[in-house]
Amino acid sequence: MSAELVAITGISSVSPYGTVAGLIPRCALEPEPITAWPTTGLRRAFMVKPFRPASVVPGLKTRRLDRLSAWAMVASSMALRDAGIDLNQEDRSRVAVVFGTGFGCAELTEAFCHSAAIHGWSGTDPSPFPEGLANSPASHVALWHEVRGPNITVGCKGFAGESALIQAASLLRHGQAELAVVLAGDTLTRAIYEWYEASGLLSPACYNSLPLTDGSGFVPSEGVAAMVLEPAGRREVRAYAHFSSGCWSANGRAVETIRKMLGGSVPRITICAGNGAPCATSSTSALASEITGTSERTVAAQAVAAGLTDSSALLHLILALSGQPPSGQALLLGTSGKNGFAVLLLELP
Amino acid sequence: MSDPRKTIVVTGVGVVSPYGIGIDCLQVGMLSGKCCLAFTKDLYPGFVGSTAQVRSLPPVENELSLRYSRSDRLAMVAARDAVRNLDQEIATLRAGGVFMASTVAGLSEIDPEIAEDPAAWYRRGGLAQAVSYPAACVADAVGENLGVRGPRCAVSAACASSAMAIALAANMLLDGAAPVMLAGGSDALCPFTLSGFNSLQALDPDPCRPFDRNRKGLNLGEGAAVLVLETLEHAEARNANVLAVLRGWAMTNDAFHSTAPQTQGNGLAACMRLAMEMAELSSDDIGYVNAHGTGTPLNDVAETCAYETVFRGRKEPVPVSSTKSYFGHCLGAAGALEAIIAIIAVRCGALLPTLRLTDPIESTSVNWLGGEVLCQELPVAMSVSAGFGGSNAALIFGSGRG
Repeated sequence: MSAELVAITGISSVSPYGTVAGLIPRCALEPEPITAWPTTGLRRAFMVKPFRPASVVPGLKTRRLDRLSAWAMVASSMALRDAGIDLNQEDRSRVAVVFGTGFGCAELTEAFCHSAAIHGWSGTDPSPFPEGLANSPASHVALWHEVRGPNITVGCKGFAGESALIQAASLLRHGQAELAVVLAGDTLTRAIYEWYEASGLLSPACYNSLPLTDGSGFVPSEGVAAMVLEPAGRREVRAYAHFSSGCWSANGRAVETIRKMLGGSVPRITICAGNGAPCATSSTSALASEITGTSERTVAAQAVAAGLTDSSALLHLILALSGQPPSGQALLLGTSGKNGFAVLLLELP
Repeated sequence: MSDPRKTIVVTGVGVVSPYGIGIDCLQVGMLSGKCCLAFTKDLYPGFVGSTAQVRSLPPVENELSLRYSRSDRLAMVAARDAVRNLDQEIATLRAGGVFMASTVAGLSEIDPEIAEDPAAWYRRGGLAQAVSYPAACVADAVGENLGVRGPRCAVSAACASSAMAIALAANMLLDGAAPVMLAGGSDALCPFTLSGFNSLQALDPDPCRPFDRNRKGLNLGEGAAVLVLETLEHAEARNANVLAVLRGWAMTNDAFHSTAPQTQGNGLAACMRLAMEMAELSSDDIGYVNAHGTGTPLNDVAETCAYETVFRGRKEPVPVSSTKSYFGHCLGAAGALEAIIAIIAVRCGALLPTLRLTDPIESTSVNWLGGEVLCQELPVAMSVSAGFGGSNAALIFGSGRG
């Protein structure tokens, strides 16, 4: 990936931490008991507390939308506001939306399946069908902001968030957009939670009310994080970070590839991302140590973001930035078993 | 083609279509005027309509997992077909990337019971089937099957998905993210999508009639198509056969409605203009447009408006056809399949007509191709895609002969 700098000028999140424009105030979260569907005994997860989108973004109409689309609209609005962007001053045909997701609009897919289970395939309810497409949230973001640039939804095992960031930067570098709203997120549904459970992936902390400890396993989460990307220097504004290069790959030669990308420099900080549980990040930490040496600072993956699996990268990055890391070069680094690794080289102010 | 490092070329194509496997099958079948749409009534209880199915999908070579969905299998067969000339260049292939689009992906394997009692369905065997649900699985299936280990990505933009996968893969090549990219799409026919389009009353029970005044809706098909893309510099270095040049690409959004296209086709027109701008071509240079042309009342009118906007003032009306009239709408695979048909047109100078087009929508800027195959030299062709959510994509292919 070419080295022209892209600036992250706005961030926001709709997550278990709440709806937050900008950095997330430091606080510890515990998984909450699931009440959204019937469970056999205590089941816990990091859930987004219900809220009224119009109370966060006045005028936003989300009554007919699923949570993922509503969150994407809220997060995009807050990120643009955080970036100080007035879309009336922008060429809206040059604003891209790039959305990374693992499961897409799973709630609506399940709603459509529910109507098929009740009425048969010949009697399904049409309303959830087109809205259930994975690109619906990105489309609603475009519709709400009236932005007509490239509108792309990507999925990538382990690295949907990183892929969205890298491809948005690519659109900017190739002049296919002047501004990009990048989003990544997923909703937690009963079918997804029970799939994790049936696959034996859940942390013991999902089954009891004991405090979550480091390395205790995977606790599913949900939410959408957003970032505004623009070419560095386009405006005289604060940037949370710049990034110059990044890649993701199923290639097993992560160390070699990342060292080649770094070109001899050693980042001061590594932000561990990627999917999965805190315990699964040991491989990311080991990779970080191999690349940057043990003396460098590593920010461990945060359980709330890790629970977002494929779409976790943006929330990981926001949480790391919220911890006021030192300035200098940083790596956002994730690994995901046979799915390989993803890495972004950032410059923190 | 001034800078070989920035010129993206197509050096392989793979197809699984209702005509069979391979570009030759597709080309011979379509040039003969054969329509693959057939009366179907067994896809779920109560369904009656016209669909185009892939009848004999062979087992996948080197299959690593039994958990692949039908969309995965279609994609893997198409990808193997696309890279058949790359077999001797394992290192190139291994470092490559895979961008695959799918709207269905593993939905074909999901039972409605998942919405009622997921744990019970998982216990009865659904656990393995659900693994293939995420759209990312299609790219992973292709990557794993071929040992392609660069960046993998699923692209989801409804029916414009695989055209966008091609555009994004081209961007990745310009970024140097991989030496070669496999890009395309795959979608299987399944009750979920058939039922969905049926519930929207978007299906024509008879074979569809794109751009005809008497059109009643679309038909669904299935298939997969994969293009091998690389820079001209890389292709020349390995002495690869260049099938076509991807001269321009663009993506836009209507920002108009979640399902309906912008009535004047403004987003699609902007998309075509951006692609022509990238290709440094004027509207007079476009020799053929393979249209999105679904056969739905709203799409075809909006699309015609877009052509009026872009091609008004041309010396001659632009030849346009919809090849969905041959094998239906293959959703996430449609853009890539139609890109390959545009490449066939450029390579063979054969412009396929829209089948059953007897009373076309009025247009002064469009030469609606109907009846016989039009044979003429064709330096440049454009393939146009659009989808729910206002997605638009345009790809422009040149012959690669200068």
